[in-house]
Amino acid sequence: MIKFKHIHSRIAFTFLTVVVLIQLAGLIPLKYALDKHANQLAEEQINVGERVFVSLLQHNTQSLKQATQVLAADFAFREAVATNDAGTIASALESYQGRIHAQIAYFISSHEDLVIGTADNEQALFGENAKEDAMHAIVENQRGTLKFDIVEGKPYQLITVPVKAPETIGWIVMGFAVDGRLATQIKQLTHLDVTFVQKTDQRAWQLVSSTTTPELSNLLVKSVADIYRQKLSLHRVNLNDQAYHLKIRSLHETKDEAFLVVLQGSVEPFTQDLNTLFKVMLLLTFIGVLIFAVLIWYVSRKTTEPIAALVKDTDNIALGDYEKEIQVNSTDEVGHLAKALNSMREAVLQRSLRIQRLAFNDELTGLSNRLAFNQGVHQAITTHAQSQQKLSVIVINIHRFKPINQTLGRDFGDDLLRHVGQVLKQNVLSEQDIVARLDADVFAVLLQHTDQAKATRYADKIQHVFEQPVSVQGQAIDVRTGIGISLYPDHGLSEESLLNHAETALQESRAKKSPWIVYNTALEIDQSETLTLISDLKEAIQHDQLLLYIQPKIDVTTRRALGGEALIRWVHPEKGMIFPDQFIPFAEQTGVISDITNWMLRRACQVLAGFKKQGLHITLAVNLSTRDLNNMEFPEQIGHLLSSHGLDAKSLKLEITEGSLMQDPERAEVVVKKLAAMGLHLAIDDFGTGYSSLAYLRQLPVQELKIDRSFVMFMDKNSSDASIVKSTIDLAHNMGLIVVAEGIENEYVLNQLARLGCNEGQGYFIGKPMPEKDFSVWLERWEGQNEIDIDIGDDLSYDLNPQDIEPQVQDPFKLDHLS
Amino acid sequence: MMRWLMILTGLCAASICAAAEVTAVVTDAAGKPVADAVVAFYDGKTTALPAGAGGKVVQKNKMFHPKVTIVQTGTKINFPNEDTVRHHVYSFSPAKKFELKLYAGIPSDPVLFDQAGVVTLGCNIHDSMIGYIYIVDTPFFAKTDDKGKAVLKLNEGHYNYQAWLPGQTKPGVEQKITIEGATEVKITLP
Repeated sequence: MIKFKHIHSRIAFTFLTVVVLIQLAGLIPLKYALDKHANQLAEEQINVGERVFVSLLQHNTQSLKQATQVLAADFAFREAVATNDAGTIASALESYQGRIHAQIAYFISSHEDLVIGTADNEQALFGENAKEDAMHAIVENQRGTLKFDIVEGKPYQLITVPVKAPETIGWIVMGFAVDGRLATQIKQLTHLDVTFVQKTDQRAWQLVSSTTTPELSNLLVKSVADIYRQKLSLHRVNLNDQAYHLKIRSLHETKDEAFLVVLQGSVEPFTQDLNTLFKVMLLLTFIGVLIFAVLIWYVSRKTTEPIAALVKDTDNIALGDYEKEIQVNSTDEVGHLAKALNSMREAVLQRSLRIQRLAFNDELTGLSNRLAFNQGVHQAITTHAQSQQKLSVIVINIHRFKPINQTLGRDFGDDLLRHVGQVLKQNVLSEQDIVARLDADVFAVLLQHTDQAKATRYADKIQHVFEQPVSVQGQAIDVRTGIGISLYPDHGLSEESLLNHAETALQESRAKKSPWIVYNTALEIDQSETLTLISDLKEAIQHDQLLLYIQPKIDVTTRRALGGEALIRWVHPEKGMIFPDQFIPFAEQTGVISDITNWMLRRACQVLAGFKKQGLHITLAVNLSTRDLNNMEFPEQIGHLLSSHGLDAKSLKLEITEGSLMQDPERAEVVVKKLAAMGLHLAIDDFGTGYSSLAYLRQLPVQELKIDRSFVMFMDKNSSDASIVKSTIDLAHNMGLIVVAEGIENEYVLNQLARLGCNEGQGYFIGKPMPEKDFSVWLERWEGQNEIDIDIGDDLSYDLNPQDIEPQVQDPFKLDHLS
Repeated sequence: MMRWLMILTGLCAASICAAAEVTAVVTDAAGKPVADAVVAFYDGKTTALPAGAGGKVVQKNKMFHPKVTIVQTGTKINFPNEDTVRHHVYSFSPAKKFELKLYAGIPSDPVLFDQAGVVTLGCNIHDSMIGYIYIVDTPFFAKTDDKGKAVLKLNEGHYNYQAWLPGQTKPGVEQKITIEGATEVKITLP
């Protein structure tokens, strides 16, 4: 099948093919019929000619016969014959021959005893076969047939008439030469060319006379030979590129001789007219087809034009141009299609807008998302590179967002985020500045054309706004933020590095509890230093550079010492004391944490075994990592440790964070259940900072819930913190769990917790983390005096950056920490 | 002719001998009976023509009646024209050439046929008219009927006989026969 680029080509081609085929179907039979008709006319002409020819011959014969009969009937002639008067007969024949223009005249008596004759040609008369020929003529004439004969190489028509007295007593035979005269006479009457040909004594055919040109008649003689051999009466031949019909009639035929007349009619005159007719028909057909082709082309184009327009429109849509509406000009199928395409375009447009929104916008706040922010920064860098101006990337983080979200509800959290976003947006310097939400509680601001002074001014302004409590859902809440700033081109040339550095600065701001930090390379060095620490850590475990610290824990109500939480310290040979938040996160990432936990457990067991020897039945809590919870052999290892130290399972408490449970909840559940089955006491650490569902927690065999210190530390000053703590305690009690509060820093809080029904507590007010030997001292003192040793600044909690202890006291919102 | 036969019969019965009836049957080569054939018997003696013997061939309806006439040599025949048109009766036959130029009614003089042979009669005006006169040197002759049969009364004795057919230029072969009582003769013409 032919492939078409356009529908209208296909339509035009199909219709044209059909029309041409129909025309051909008409023309071919017409041509055939016309040819046949011409042939028939020519045949008819030649048949009529033949009949005319025959009747002419008969007429000629009749008149010749009548002329001859005049002589035969003459009484004197008959008397001469009857009396065998040869001289008289001869003279009578001679005079008669001349009178009727015969070339031969014979008299033959009935008894053949007398033959008298006269002829133009003596040979014709007395030749070898002359008498025989004459006798044949007599016999054939009696039968009524025309008699032609070749006498001495020349064709004659022989007429015989009997001489009666009154019986037939003899015959007069008259011979008339067949020559051009006869041929011309026939042609005048029949309009056919006449050719006489003969053959004598087996010699080749020869022309006797003809009305055609010598050239043509010679050609004719040649073809006659064939036709005669095949005994065809009517034949069509081509002579000199012209078609002729030949009708051949044998006038005389013996074994050796033949004399034929060939009637020849040209087909040309008949075909000429019909050919002209056919040519006119052909021309008309051609013109018709041409007109039809133009019409079809026009109509099919008109029909498919709207489709082509639609194709163009859809091409535009494919290229992403959804805005341009497709024109609907008709109410037919194409119109419907256009309408359908239009609604499709509309739908695609809406969808693409939505996708764009989703791709580049933060749905919650309506601000840009990380992707859009990155692109914005990228674009800004390009323009700023040209203008050689600075721009700043500011990353802002809301402190304590997760617990707020958890306790005050997600709706509240969302509103808070929207509010913060709004505040950030209201304070930008120009319209081109971009505010985005990068993560849950992390925002980013791009300030165009700003140097460090302008950027820090913006940070200050934000800081200032949030110094006042924020009102969300009719509830006042304090929002504290950490801000990191990086500048282009000072701190990075790409959007990634700018954002990374701003985030690094933010980390620093959080760590140092400062309102904002501008990035500087020193921050980087801190981090790389941390990395080198990791490689030292493995060595530290082996070379016993680690120390076990214990933070005491008491019963909140009775204020009796219960035991403590085992904490770790690293005494680096060069750097001195290193706190856990500097190496624990990395230890978790690298897997070294397992070794640390093992070391801790072993040390805790040793300590417990030591106290047991002294008769002190205290408990120690050890923090477990994600890796421990995913290690199926971990329960066995603990079991081994306990038994090797001769310890009761109850003396060891295991603290697990929500985060560590959530990594692989199914595995963790198995491990936790095994541990519980062994009689180990399990506690959820830092409750409120993760996202674990209570439903999940309830499934676990956990006995204890530890409220994160960030809620407890300032619950005496912050009502919302207090309510979070209260609701957490209630919740835990409802689930049948013991509640332990961390971060008790004064007696008021301790009393407050006692009032809220909290079971146990730990914190600086009770005792800072302390070395093993100090713990024995503390224990004695606490139990003995039941007094509180307030010795802040004497020791350090691994939770707090020692450098920030002073600011922490000034800033009660120092909540964010690693533990 | 009957008259001659009666005379002959009378002669035989009266003086010389007993007469016999001879039946001649003429057929052609195929055995078909030939009508109007002439049968003649010769006894070797020339018998004189009875005095006053004569005949006529009438032309009626442009035909000769009778078509075939047999006469003894020396008989005169008249050619009365009973048609309203005139005839020009002629003969180019060697036995008797004559010409009766256009005439009506009865010609004044009859034509004498004094030589044995066949005379073919024609009319110069009417080509279709044809008649034959057979002139024989014997009084014993007859013409066959439709069945090819001719009956003659002959005296017993020795005879030569032959048969002719009109149109044939030559008579059949002469044959010999002895008549004793009634005899049937079969003649086949070539």
